[in-house]
Amino acid sequence: MEIDIRELETYQELAHDGARSAAESLSQLTGISTRVQVTDVSLMSSSDLEYEFIGDEFAGVNIDLTGEIEGEVVLAFDEQGRSAITDKLVPADDPEKKKSSIKEVGNIMTSGFVDGWANYLSAKIKSSPPTYIQGTGTDILPTSTTDEDRHLFVFRSRVEASQEAESEPIDFRILLVPDSKSLERSLEPKTDKIVSLEKLEVFNDMTKEGAEKAAANITSMTGIETTVNISRLSLIPIEDIPTEVGSKRFVGTVMQFRGKFSGYLVILFDQPSGRAVVDSLVPMETEEQWGDIEQGALKELGNIMTSGFIDGWANVLNAEIKHSPPEFVADTGSGILTPVTTKIAETDDHAFVLDSSIQTNSDKVFTCQMLALPRRDELEQALDDLLVENSANTRIDPDDLF
Amino acid sequence: MDVLITDDSGFMRDLLREILEEDHNIVGEAENGVEAVELYREEQPDIVFMDIVMPIKDGIEATGEITDMDPGAKVVMCTSVEQAEQMKDSIKAGAEGYITKPFQKESVLEELNSIAAE
Repeated sequence: MEIDIRELETYQELAHDGARSAAESLSQLTGISTRVQVTDVSLMSSSDLEYEFIGDEFAGVNIDLTGEIEGEVVLAFDEQGRSAITDKLVPADDPEKKKSSIKEVGNIMTSGFVDGWANYLSAKIKSSPPTYIQGTGTDILPTSTTDEDRHLFVFRSRVEASQEAESEPIDFRILLVPDSKSLERSLEPKTDKIVSLEKLEVFNDMTKEGAEKAAANITSMTGIETTVNISRLSLIPIEDIPTEVGSKRFVGTVMQFRGKFSGYLVILFDQPSGRAVVDSLVPMETEEQWGDIEQGALKELGNIMTSGFIDGWANVLNAEIKHSPPEFVADTGSGILTPVTTKIAETDDHAFVLDSSIQTNSDKVFTCQMLALPRRDELEQALDDLLVENSANTRIDPDDLF
Repeated sequence: MDVLITDDSGFMRDLLREILEEDHNIVGEAENGVEAVELYREEQPDIVFMDIVMPIKDGIEATGEITDMDPGAKVVMCTSVEQAEQMKDSIKAGAEGYITKPFQKESVLEELNSIAAE
């Protein structure tokens, strides 16, 4: 199956408009002010999708779509969002009515999300009555995604909402998982910006393997057991990338890569994780929190992780991808990403973001996010040149050559 | 043996020094390819451990200059890069060995001993 990248960008924009419409519906119904943070379209495995809803308790609706677009929509509020809405709409202590209010709010919001698609396609998209869903992880996932582990195109929107009196923001997510036939119909090539879906899937798998190698390198250097829990390829407007990473403070490294395709690789540790890594690498007391020694250790780790991440691409593409020495960064996520996205925005309006998240096996203290931002046109050309039959050749043993 | 260590990371130079200095003489540490070439000219070490990704001049280019200057020079790439094309470029530049980071002490010493025995 071949897909038209420009059409995919149009659908991302439709999803963004749809999320805004859904958010406005929520504001009208409840008086809660809303802001769409980010909407992207991601290619990810169904097991990775599960992590969207891990940890917190969510409540919302699942709606089946039929017509021009077939598939499922899940709209889910976090616990804070659920109680803010139900407290507003059903002040009485009536659990059934509270559930019913979430169903109706979800139904109205989903209509707002889907109708723009139907209008764009000049076609009908019918929604089933909403099914109430509540829980975490697979309890919330669209049912079609839990049958088997496969690649899915998922339209993800994250909306932040806040009541004036509330200090903590609430958020809700909308996932649209179209079935493969209607997706193929919708993304039928109309321009010459065509990418093979099979190659995108291969590239996504290679990226996950690269992240696993990077995680193994962390373990080897620090002794901290790690695992990759999410790896996805997303198409996202460049201006939304800093927001996607958020206002949490991080330390890490930024590297530029160039060769078969060029771009940036950003490695972010939240502050406690960065400290844990440095303490493992440099087991001695130092006076500064992020002095030369600490920065040097993190830069070297970044260097080694980067190679682990990108070398597989180079080997499969039979090409070189060289990266620059790492630059140390310590700032909010958006503060770190803004200079990078400003550079990419000089030539592109959307970017493919390869996003992998690494955590410890033992506890949740350690998190590391790796974001690769290749130049879109160069990646499209590289994917065009990619030979699927080479996809197993990610690793090379130096002893075979020396 | 006289060893020259080349790596832009002080952390990695310290690690290599710790591994090597028990049995070998570290004649210098270079932070980039330019320094490596200069130090090689001055010190004429028996072996060079050479990183690839470095500022100013990368390790493959520096290896080429060292082996042009001294065709008998023994250079071991010590890098996180595991790309076939860059390994081939390293061979073309004259490198005789290749260690990938993160490494174990034993693999560094094995590589050094194997090159020394040639």
